[in-house]
Amino acid sequence: MNSFIYQININFKRIILRNKRFFLFDMMLPIVFYLLYSKILVTGIPQADLKTWQMNYLISMIIYSCLLGSIITVANTLLEDKTSHFDILSQLTPLPRWQYYLSRILIFLLLNLISSIGICLVGILVNNLTLSIATWSLIILTTIVGTVPLIFIGILISLANNPATVNMLNNLIVFPLAMISGLWWPITMMPKWLQSIGKLMPTFELSNIDQSILHGKIINNQYVIGIILWLATIGIAAILITTYQKYKELNIE
Amino acid sequence: MNTIIKVEHLNKSYRKKEILKDLNFEVDHNQIIALIGENGAGKTTLINIMLNLISSNSGTINILDNTKHFKEHIGVMMQSNISITRITVKEILRLTQSYYKNPLPYEDLIELAHLKDLESSKMNELSGGQKRHLSFALSIAGNPDLLFLDEPTSGMDSQSRTKFWQTISTLKSQHKTIFVTSHYLEELEAIADRIMILQNKSIEFDGSIAELRTLEGESLVEFDSALLPDLFKSIPDITDFKNVGNHYQFTTKNAESLVRQMTPYLNAISNLKVQQNSLDSLFVNFSKGDANYE
Repeated sequence: MNSFIYQININFKRIILRNKRFFLFDMMLPIVFYLLYSKILVTGIPQADLKTWQMNYLISMIIYSCLLGSIITVANTLLEDKTSHFDILSQLTPLPRWQYYLSRILIFLLLNLISSIGICLVGILVNNLTLSIATWSLIILTTIVGTVPLIFIGILISLANNPATVNMLNNLIVFPLAMISGLWWPITMMPKWLQSIGKLMPTFELSNIDQSILHGKIINNQYVIGIILWLATIGIAAILITTYQKYKELNIE
Repeated sequence: MNTIIKVEHLNKSYRKKEILKDLNFEVDHNQIIALIGENGAGKTTLINIMLNLISSNSGTINILDNTKHFKEHIGVMMQSNISITRITVKEILRLTQSYYKNPLPYEDLIELAHLKDLESSKMNELSGGQKRHLSFALSIAGNPDLLFLDEPTSGMDSQSRTKFWQTISTLKSQHKTIFVTSHYLEELEAIADRIMILQNKSIEFDGSIAELRTLEGESLVEFDSALLPDLFKSIPDITDFKNVGNHYQFTTKNAESLVRQMTPYLNAISNLKVQQNSLDSLFVNFSKGDANYE
């Protein structure tokens, strides 16, 4: 079998198929939240607004799920690759480094795709949400592309090279990011100063783009540029840290 | 013989501490080279530099002419085990084989690494010794010409170690070059063509075990005889003389010469034993000495 396809196959098995953490935390947790706040705890929401709320909250939970996958699963997987010496093993073989990284990034994107589809299916089957296939597809596709900066945050965290630090950074970044960017509750419920920070977050920007697609509105370019800027900033930071670690030989145990 | 590793004027410091100083050596094809040294002497650092995992401060390293595809021809068994979760032994071996153009056939690979019964086991569920076998299998998956083995038998039981060195002999007979470090010096003694001692930041000895023995070796000669001690005391090569009743025990730097000088008395000697120093004790003697034998 072609080496690249073999890598994709192995990474799919270990990162997704055999990874209970992925199904429990990246998929089940947002699904439980979604069911809880769109089906069970909906007493204060007028019946006329319920469908819109269920739709909007679905977008939030898709992004929340991708946030968990992109940061926690990516950071933990890459850290595990280092601590298990998988990374070194690959470096010592003729495998080109771009193939090593690309095979992982594709799996991380697939991970987000699976959890997005899973949550959409729950919305369709449980809350009878109806959208055209084109709109569903566009929302999912936009989300997958829009989560690339989040994957880069996961890569950046993994460079801490220490399980305790990685775990701490995961928790310090993921949950505050979900809260202040309005994924758990409407951003308008927060103080103005916090709202202005939340609106700069890539998860808020992505949520806004998805909401525009959902409601057939024109996408605000400001948010697209915002996500591109996040990608550029985190990408540069990752390159600088990797170069520094290589220079200081912090990448070899 | 053609040179496949050439190291010239290699220097390495880490956080202002000098680790390797002006290292120079060459390795020819189809040799087993044992690199020995105390803990922290810099053996793994040297291997990491040769493998381009870390950089040197100065000097040049030429491995397999530094061709673009030289990684196709090298295999590495690192000191640390590779233990990836949620992957089986068979999957990681197949994956590693897929990186190479001419990998070792899968059946040969598991046969050589003694992994026949472990193919469907998850990597992280293997014992320490089994993980070493797997690390070895991964190092030879690409059918390399040059093999680096860093402490290959640490964590293996004695039976596995014996099998492992038999496999190394088989690989040598297939014209492989093997660069090995180990703390089990008695194992290296039986297999190495050449010993390099890394000490005080440089290669302080580079030669065969016989050459090291000439420099540092003392042999023990024992026998029983009713002859008088004065007959033997006059033999010049004896460095230490002990006699209890009819039992004699000498130490000498040159056992061959001593036995030759004892030839006139051989008819009156029984239970003659000549015991040469092990590589372990040669290394200890060498490390104690201050001389530079480069």
